[in-house]
Amino acid sequence: MSKQKQTYWRSLNELAKNEEYQRFVDREFPENASELKDGYSRRNFLQIMGASIALAGFAACRKPVQKIIPHTTMPEYTVAGKQVFYATSMPYAGSVTGLLVETNGGRPTKIEGNEEHPSSNGATNLVHQATILDMYDPDRSRGVRNNNEASGWSAFVDAAGEYLTAEKRIAFIAEANSSLTLNRLKKEALSKFRNATWVTYEPFGEENQLLGSQIAFGRKLRVAPKLADAKVVVSFDADFMGPAVDNVRNIREFSKARTVSSTEDSISRLYVAEPNYSLTGSNADHRLRIKAADVKPLLYAVAAKLAENTSGLDVFSGYSNGYSQHTWVSVLAEDLKTNAGASIVMVGADHDAETHAAAAVINVALGNVGKTVSYLELPHADDVNQNSLFLDTVAAMQSGAIDGVVILGGNPVLTAPRDLNFAAALQQVPFSAHLANHVDETSKLAKWHVNRAHFLEHWGDGYDFHGAPSIVQPMILPLFGGKSEIEILGAILNGADFDASEAVKATWKPLLGTGFDAKWRTVLHDGLLKDYSFRAANASIGASLRNTLSATIGSVRQANVDAFEIVLKPDPTLYDGRHTNNGWLMELPDPITKITWDNVALVSPTTAEKLGIRTRKFGDTEVDMVQIEVNGTSVEIASWILPGHADNSITVYAGYGRKGIGRVADEVGVNTYTLATSSNALFASGASVSKTRSRYTIATTQDHHSMEGRPFVREASVEEYRNDPRFAADMVYVPGRKKGEEHAISLFNEQTFPDREPQWGMAIDLTTCIGCGVCTIACQAENNIPVIGKNEVKRGREMHWIRTDRYFSGDVNGDPQIVHQPIPCMQCELAPCEQVCPVAATTHSDDGLNQMTYNRCIGTRYCANNCPFKVRRFNFFNYPVEYLTQGDDPEVIQMAMNPDVSIRFRGVMEKCTYCVQRISRAKLQTKLDTGNSIKPADGSVKTACQQACPANAITFGDLTDKNSIVVRTKSNERNYLLLEELNIRPRTSYLAKIRNTNEKLA
Amino acid sequence: MAQLFPEWSNRVPRLLLVGSILLVTSIVFGFWYFGSPKFIDVGYAPLQPIDYSHKLHAGELGIDCRYCHSSVEVSAVASVPSTQTCMNCHAQIATDSEKLQLLRDSWETGDAIEWIKVHDIADYSYFNHAAHVNVGVGCASCHGRVDRMEVVMQSEPLSMGWCLDCHNNPEPHLRPLDEITNMGWQAPENQYLLAQEIIAKKNIAPPIYCNACHR
Repeated sequence: MSKQKQTYWRSLNELAKNEEYQRFVDREFPENASELKDGYSRRNFLQIMGASIALAGFAACRKPVQKIIPHTTMPEYTVAGKQVFYATSMPYAGSVTGLLVETNGGRPTKIEGNEEHPSSNGATNLVHQATILDMYDPDRSRGVRNNNEASGWSAFVDAAGEYLTAEKRIAFIAEANSSLTLNRLKKEALSKFRNATWVTYEPFGEENQLLGSQIAFGRKLRVAPKLADAKVVVSFDADFMGPAVDNVRNIREFSKARTVSSTEDSISRLYVAEPNYSLTGSNADHRLRIKAADVKPLLYAVAAKLAENTSGLDVFSGYSNGYSQHTWVSVLAEDLKTNAGASIVMVGADHDAETHAAAAVINVALGNVGKTVSYLELPHADDVNQNSLFLDTVAAMQSGAIDGVVILGGNPVLTAPRDLNFAAALQQVPFSAHLANHVDETSKLAKWHVNRAHFLEHWGDGYDFHGAPSIVQPMILPLFGGKSEIEILGAILNGADFDASEAVKATWKPLLGTGFDAKWRTVLHDGLLKDYSFRAANASIGASLRNTLSATIGSVRQANVDAFEIVLKPDPTLYDGRHTNNGWLMELPDPITKITWDNVALVSPTTAEKLGIRTRKFGDTEVDMVQIEVNGTSVEIASWILPGHADNSITVYAGYGRKGIGRVADEVGVNTYTLATSSNALFASGASVSKTRSRYTIATTQDHHSMEGRPFVREASVEEYRNDPRFAADMVYVPGRKKGEEHAISLFNEQTFPDREPQWGMAIDLTTCIGCGVCTIACQAENNIPVIGKNEVKRGREMHWIRTDRYFSGDVNGDPQIVHQPIPCMQCELAPCEQVCPVAATTHSDDGLNQMTYNRCIGTRYCANNCPFKVRRFNFFNYPVEYLTQGDDPEVIQMAMNPDVSIRFRGVMEKCTYCVQRISRAKLQTKLDTGNSIKPADGSVKTACQQACPANAITFGDLTDKNSIVVRTKSNERNYLLLEELNIRPRTSYLAKIRNTNEKLA
Repeated sequence: MAQLFPEWSNRVPRLLLVGSILLVTSIVFGFWYFGSPKFIDVGYAPLQPIDYSHKLHAGELGIDCRYCHSSVEVSAVASVPSTQTCMNCHAQIATDSEKLQLLRDSWETGDAIEWIKVHDIADYSYFNHAAHVNVGVGCASCHGRVDRMEVVMQSEPLSMGWCLDCHNNPEPHLRPLDEITNMGWQAPENQYLLAQEIIAKKNIAPPIYCNACHR
């Protein structure tokens, strides 16, 4: 049936095809999926249910009185029942991203990218989508605290005004930020408090990158890649698609360079060398797994190879190490050289400054500067090494040389290297204040905790990564009276309450010049000041580079192959732990491991064998635990075998193992920050690792929804594609299809409505899809999808309407490749689910949607059983009730719900509807605008997943409009249908993946 | 030996059978009728916080519906007027009326007036006013003769069956667009032809699939 050459597998078990796996395949639902095991038996549950049904029956006799509460004065421009969009931007780790926020009746409910903003161009990343839940987090701190007791904002302002006098030695420890106003206040603060220091501290910041350019160019410059123009991208452990800053732009530009519309198109090539299988690595055309400690030697070896025929690299001439003879070195050097001026070398943000300097020198020598990479002058950067300044400041705090410390965001007690003992140092300081969302680890030890306002609640500003000045404007008054960095710093400066909106205006007045009011309104409307960015520096290699690099080049050697190294990485979804209490991000499967609700120690299969870690049996949720000991500290953590991981290297993600933060964050995973020390912030060599006797339960979505080895993902190299453009469509034999016909003959009534327009359809391009999972979160935010918890996910009950399947191919012990495939409901024209519903709860609409009518559904689950894609989700419990009506004040989380979508009850099936609420809105608006048509203009209906996707992988539109983008996309020869041989005629189709492989590495 | 059971007891099983059939039937039909929106919801006329009379404002004074329900033509909801809208007139008219004390309080304090919702359809149904009033469905078609109501009363069942009656057969309920808010509009003799004209002009095909209202 299948002409597929490669063997795809989703998990090690599937590859092994063992007995457990067969049993799993034979079962309808995973084991335990239909049994309740939470403390009460099913029978007694039914008794309780019986009682509540009876009570509900009596209570329902009287019609509940509902009220309509109008405004007393109608706000301008608002129309009841219509959403209003405002432009704002989200500050994150030192830059901002321009966003558009949908508000319903004054409540922000959904975040989209701002199409006019160069940082987002209308797209978003995981954090942007999920941060709306951060704002409505009922566990957020609700007030100012003094010595862990409730206090007030004015008490804090008075205390700070009294204590923090001009001559006091104050340390300001701030998160990286680009705010124009905050940096103006920072200058004022440093001139008022003569003995003060200002430290920028981020556990995973870009400081090393800035220091790298300081070595290379003599001053701190920001490395800004322009991936759209690069033909060859070489990433040395640079996860530029992952939780990095500015990943929306990176992904968009990368996918632009990878867009294939015909066989004539050439696409860029991505090489990745990294220890962990990162999201970027999973999109590589060629990937080399090496230890983190070997990244620098490999880069130096490539530089030395390039130096043979490139000028400007003489500092590396004659250098060699264990990698110099590696095939990759010569291949990389050749490809970089051939594409000089159109290639880029990138290095992971957490590698040391010298590695970044080496990458900068290579980019300069290849003439890439100004073409594929820019080095930008930051107006707010200073020349001080912030990493060492932070160490010095903590030492000063410890020794009593600091009178007061003001921590603006961040959570250094958790994230600072363990050997600094930040907690003890903090307690030495007589006055300490911490601005934070939650009463977190640092807040508990600080004298004062000030609750922080979410960026949707306060005024502010900032530069995007490339320097577009952007505005942060509030959508709602602070829910819990929180304060922003600007407000707290202003209050400390002035000793009185501080008006942030006036401060922001005052900062922007000189920037906008004459006619301020009109220009200000334009800025508020657009979200940014257009046509303005950081100046690209004239990047010429400084004199000191040679000395700095040649002093240490001799010590850059390949790491000991057999020694264990521990690599600490920010979590792909929770970043450094700032989103740990966000249920959407917590429950989003990791893009590679598909683990939810935990962090694990990732090891390669070979290393697992060496350590005696058993391959998990199929359906078994328990895994072996390992004890990791490094630098005199140890953690016990669950292990996870990840094919493609570097051998003898162990990756752990940070941000877990929190206590006393909130209902999502508490007691989930293990705190891995304890493994880092100030000298080994990124990775530590010489760790000792051993398997322990304990087992640990992991909730993963990996083994669910298995697809049985059929060719769901179809891929080819550029050459194969050119030789056989229709390779994907012809891969399976469709019985009953006559030559030249589009479909096979059907036994059922064909549900097409040729006379009804529009007809909706979707296409997903697997070449550009990178598998980040933002579609899942966008869908969750748009469609009020509940978070269900680890135990339920473990039973395979995850509720996501669109999931991303990840398949491995190739050698399990070598360098396997990964492909990602997002799977929403396919909206089959001859939908198998519709045939088996006994109550007609799922039927077809006139515009070709497979609709789900919740009120008719009686919960037989026949439809899910008959769905070949397993995209239907069942409410096993009354998740929304727990989610929306329990806890201290459920009203807060209720506010986050999209009023256009029903909340589903227990016993009801649900699934993707192509965002039918958006379709209805657009059809109606078209009718109001034109008077007689319900056919929205092409592109005016965007599904939530499509709108959020930074890679532009999803196209959606009207199939009856022959000029629509979706019709044109579907007419591409790479287009294929999933399970076409079943003749179910999915409306969602896929475009096969194309890889730009280099024959020399094949 | 005397008969233990008298002769009439022979009829007991038959009576029981007939009786239980009657009982079950009456329970079913009882629920069907007395539980239906037609019986329960029609006639719902709660007392509002302010003794507002549509009969006076819309009927005798002839204020257009859209003066207060201003978003009806553009939005899903018709909207209940803000205090400000009331004060447009009542800053000058009936300024010392006792009945309007709550209105004046609301205007002074900024606290909203909590009106009681009369026409309340289920939360899982997404009704859209703009979709209807812009294609020729008049206010009175669903809300009845509001201009004659001292206290607003639900006059139609607003049940799904009632909605579908019109969606399946819209002709009797369509009227010229300039008659939408006319409470007293009467269908002319040639209503069918008039409706056909509106249907053609506005390209009306009332959806009867689930997603049209439920999502």
